[in-house]
Amino acid sequence: MSDPRSRQSETVIECRAIRKVFPGVVALDDVSLAITRGEVHALLGQNGAGKSTLVKILTGVYQQDGGEVRIGGEAVRLRDTRDAEARGVAIVHQDQQLVPQFDVANNILLGSEMTGALGLLDRGAMRERVDAALKRIDAGFSADTLVRDLSIAERAQVAIAAALMRNPTALILDEPTASLSDHEAEHLFGIVRGLRDQGVTVIYISHYLDEVLSLVDRISVLRDGKLIGTLPVDGVSRADVVKMIVGRDIAQLYPKEVVPIGQPLLEVRDLAHGHKLNGVDLTVRRGEILGIAGLVGAGRSELALTLVGALKRRQGSVTIDGRASDPATPRDAKNDGFSLIPEDRRHEGLVIDMTVRENLSLPNISRWARFGLFNPVAEANAARELVERLKIQPASIRPLTRNLSGGNQQKVVVGRWLTGNSQVFLFDEPTTGVDVGSKIEIYRQMVELARQGAAIIFISSDFEEISAMCDRTVVMAKGKIVKTFEDQCEATPEALLNWASATGQEEDVAGTSAVPADTGRVERLLSRWGTALGMVVTIAVIALLAPHFLGIGNIFDVLKQGSVLAFIALGLTVVLIAGGFDMSAGATSQFAANLAAGTLLAGQGTLAAILFGGGLGLAIGTVNAGLVLLLRMPPFVATLGMMFVAMGGTLLYNGGQALTLSGPPEFFFLGQGYVGPVPFVFILLVIVTALLHVVLKRTRLGLRMYAVGLNPVAANLRGVTKPAYAFASFAIGGLILGLAGVILSAYSYGASALATGVDFLISALAAAFLGSTLTKAGELDVVGTVIAAIFLASLSNGLILIGVSSQALPGVQGLILILSIALGVFRRRAIGQVLIF
Amino acid sequence: MQTSSTSPHPALSATLVDMLRTYGPAIGMLGVLVVFAILKPVFLSPANIANVMHQSVVLIVISFGLAVVMSMRGVDLSVAQIADGAGLIAAILVLNGQPLWLVIAAPLAFGVGIGLVNGLIAAYVGVPAVIGTLGMMFIIRSGELMMTNGAEPQILFSLPRGLTRAFFFIGQGKIFGISALVLLGILIFMIMLAVMTFTPFARRAKAVGGNARAAMLAGIDIRAVFAGGFVIAGLLSAVAGVALVSRTGIAVPRGAEPYLLDAFAAVYLGTLLSRRAEITIPGVLVGGLFITFLGNGLTLLGLGAPFRYGLNGAFILLAMAIGALKRPH
Repeated sequence: MSDPRSRQSETVIECRAIRKVFPGVVALDDVSLAITRGEVHALLGQNGAGKSTLVKILTGVYQQDGGEVRIGGEAVRLRDTRDAEARGVAIVHQDQQLVPQFDVANNILLGSEMTGALGLLDRGAMRERVDAALKRIDAGFSADTLVRDLSIAERAQVAIAAALMRNPTALILDEPTASLSDHEAEHLFGIVRGLRDQGVTVIYISHYLDEVLSLVDRISVLRDGKLIGTLPVDGVSRADVVKMIVGRDIAQLYPKEVVPIGQPLLEVRDLAHGHKLNGVDLTVRRGEILGIAGLVGAGRSELALTLVGALKRRQGSVTIDGRASDPATPRDAKNDGFSLIPEDRRHEGLVIDMTVRENLSLPNISRWARFGLFNPVAEANAARELVERLKIQPASIRPLTRNLSGGNQQKVVVGRWLTGNSQVFLFDEPTTGVDVGSKIEIYRQMVELARQGAAIIFISSDFEEISAMCDRTVVMAKGKIVKTFEDQCEATPEALLNWASATGQEEDVAGTSAVPADTGRVERLLSRWGTALGMVVTIAVIALLAPHFLGIGNIFDVLKQGSVLAFIALGLTVVLIAGGFDMSAGATSQFAANLAAGTLLAGQGTLAAILFGGGLGLAIGTVNAGLVLLLRMPPFVATLGMMFVAMGGTLLYNGGQALTLSGPPEFFFLGQGYVGPVPFVFILLVIVTALLHVVLKRTRLGLRMYAVGLNPVAANLRGVTKPAYAFASFAIGGLILGLAGVILSAYSYGASALATGVDFLISALAAAFLGSTLTKAGELDVVGTVIAAIFLASLSNGLILIGVSSQALPGVQGLILILSIALGVFRRRAIGQVLIF
Repeated sequence: MQTSSTSPHPALSATLVDMLRTYGPAIGMLGVLVVFAILKPVFLSPANIANVMHQSVVLIVISFGLAVVMSMRGVDLSVAQIADGAGLIAAILVLNGQPLWLVIAAPLAFGVGIGLVNGLIAAYVGVPAVIGTLGMMFIIRSGELMMTNGAEPQILFSLPRGLTRAFFFIGQGKIFGISALVLLGILIFMIMLAVMTFTPFARRAKAVGGNARAAMLAGIDIRAVFAGGFVIAGLLSAVAGVALVSRTGIAVPRGAEPYLLDAFAAVYLGTLLSRRAEITIPGVLVGGLFITFLGNGLTLLGLGAPFRYGLNGAFILLAMAIGALKRPH
């Protein structure tokens, strides 16, 4: 291993005549290449050339239809990613799936954690191993840094370190520098070279030719699913590589027409967003198609999204026809005359479960409305006309857009803007994954719009279509325009690729330094300790107004009252941790309380009461898990139904009567006893919480429960699948809820006749979410939950001591619930949708 | 060619599943009612049916509001509490001898106001609707308790008839022999059907429910649309609450709370009648009617609340399980 050169000739991975066909497309055709040990081998090609398909075959995501893959000389058929990893092929994706709330060690070792005595995580050993891996790549952070606090570049390093932990023979890096600054990219190259010197084979995928040529040993170029050639970089010129990548295809038909070009319509000055878009100037005239060429991560989509107000503008000005346009939302932008055809048509362009007609009339539906009602006949006719005009297949306005082919879907996205008053059309990669016929139709529409005097921006990484269809072209890289071709004749595919793939050293410095400064120190302290501070202040104010509040007797009273609620909140928290939800939490505890009381009334003793109560909770939790995991119901609905069932069961069991207990005393001790001055139930709470804390934070099970709740995709990539751990959380949570019910009946000398679990539910939810705002990473946490539950109990107690009516207490709890959530979500506000279906 | 079916007999099983999808739920609902009719023939007497229709209006109107919110993937746990509060306000105003217009306008304004706050919290602040409206439910409950000195019922039926005649007409009057309340229900059904079919709002709401990001990029003000759903829910709940007090002549704080559970069951059951398990206004109407008939049948059989809760829950779970069959993965 010390001398990689001596192994230079040994082949690690070999592809022999690989063929992969998708419906209608030959993605890979007779591709043969060999990667030798210890080299850095670049895969080059335009979008759609077949690079990602090849990588997916090598990592087991796809299986080849023909040919064979040999790893270490042995022919293999990789079933899935884990199979590939087992054979030593690891991949680092462009966008890293990590659990931000975990530290680096837990992220890297998720799925292969190290445990010591009693099954507890051996954090020491984990840290040691991870630190060793981090050292290999010279990382500037340690194993116990929270991933949340790392930059994008550092997260990429975490991913590389994670891949290295598996001791791969070959490491695939997919576009690793796309979202890095030059400085960060330079650091990454150092890491790659270091790995090569350690004998690791690296397959490097990138569009940036400069970095490729200075970093790698050999390159393989793909075009249209075929291997154009494999050659060492020594002695290859950049121009040669560009020629290989672009090639000269069979001339495709481009319906470009000459259209009179008028006055400037759209003027953009110094537009910037975050650090992805760093001061762009553009002018587009009426009737003009302006091409924006660039690679992934160049800031082209950010430009389009910033223009329509979907991303926040940092600086700059935009005018349409002389009128200033500063849209806060895409709706304002629509009114200003913008139309966006987004890059990802299935997720951003269409509402795929709506019909062609509904999608076509979506942005301008009020156009057909009068007095608040639209005229469905006129609307349908307009949609029909568009279907005809765009030649959408099938020629009907009725099908769901999800069932259309990619090309026809794209025509719908284009078509819906044709009915409005749009003047500026932003086409973001409109032809990716679109068949040739639809492509031509989309080009025709562009020309048609231009003829009508619209200004068109055409964003694409297919440089041939840019070259053929545009009147003028600019090239973007790293959030800036690096080249403007006033004369379209010069904007050949080669020239465009040449400019787009350059790294643009000198221009970048200003861009990265313009990143907004970190938030202030005070603000950070507040967001970390704000909740705790608020709690302390509240307690202090109450103590001031009601001195009796802090008396020893009262404190222990509060602890006793709070403990019962805290138990229910604990059970709920455990369910929430793995991404579930439990509407039935309160009703479950209530049912268990009744069952426990009934068991005692039947004379079966304390132990039986505890067993039955806990068992009931466990059973309900298991059924909930079954509904969610087997029938794939959203947790909200499943547990809502279960809540009804539990309430019905409770009433059936107690016959609508309160079950009042008069013994045995050892049972009451659970809820009402004291050890010295301390309530026994509180001691029990502390023990259970400590136990849960250890299980959740210090065992493999707990770590994985958190992982599937916080980022199921990341967990899945590490082989931690959701069902097992979601099941565990429902079952454990259910058990605790059942036991909480037992304690409830011991505390209240029996069970009440009412079956309203909703009251417990809200207190428990408030405690769980308020508790989560106490933690460093803002994640749900049993200790936080218990502190919050006790706080809520003291608040109720204190308010009553001050003389506030007990009738106001539910309202106060409701308010705290809303506020504690609002604190957490206000900064990254979405709209509060829940998964109901 | 590209069907996703992987079973060995795709044609046969597809037809069976298709049949089950299309007619199963409706047949199932009818079957339940037939069982009641056999066990208690009085169940199908005209008087009982008229009675059930009369009773069902409050639930159906609340369910319409909940359905609008849920069709956008929101949820409003405060609908029943809004109805409760609105009814209480109406009752207190009647007791204080206020004019009829105020007795009706004030509760409706209350419903709209709460809906606005719910909408602001969910759509603009971004608090998950399930949390925000749960909190709101408790805030309203506190308000009610304080307003009524700890849940004292507000009794209207013992007032002099002159004071209450106009107000009671909503819930107890008849027009040409048909219950005024049923007519109100039909009117609201027609209005909601029109609103959810022919207004731009309905189209936008559907888009928000289908794909909020795509809807936003298509130039839809998704926050306003999402918030709008809560306002509609608040208004309809308030209407239902006033109707309930007018029907019963008494406003018991927290008396309307059971409607929340029934409304969920009505909405989920209603999805069974749509081909793609969507929430539709006619579906909600049928769901609400079925739930009310179910409650009535259980009462006739002498089976009380436990069975209602249990069956409601079971029907929600059943509806979702069948719905899972209907949707593409």
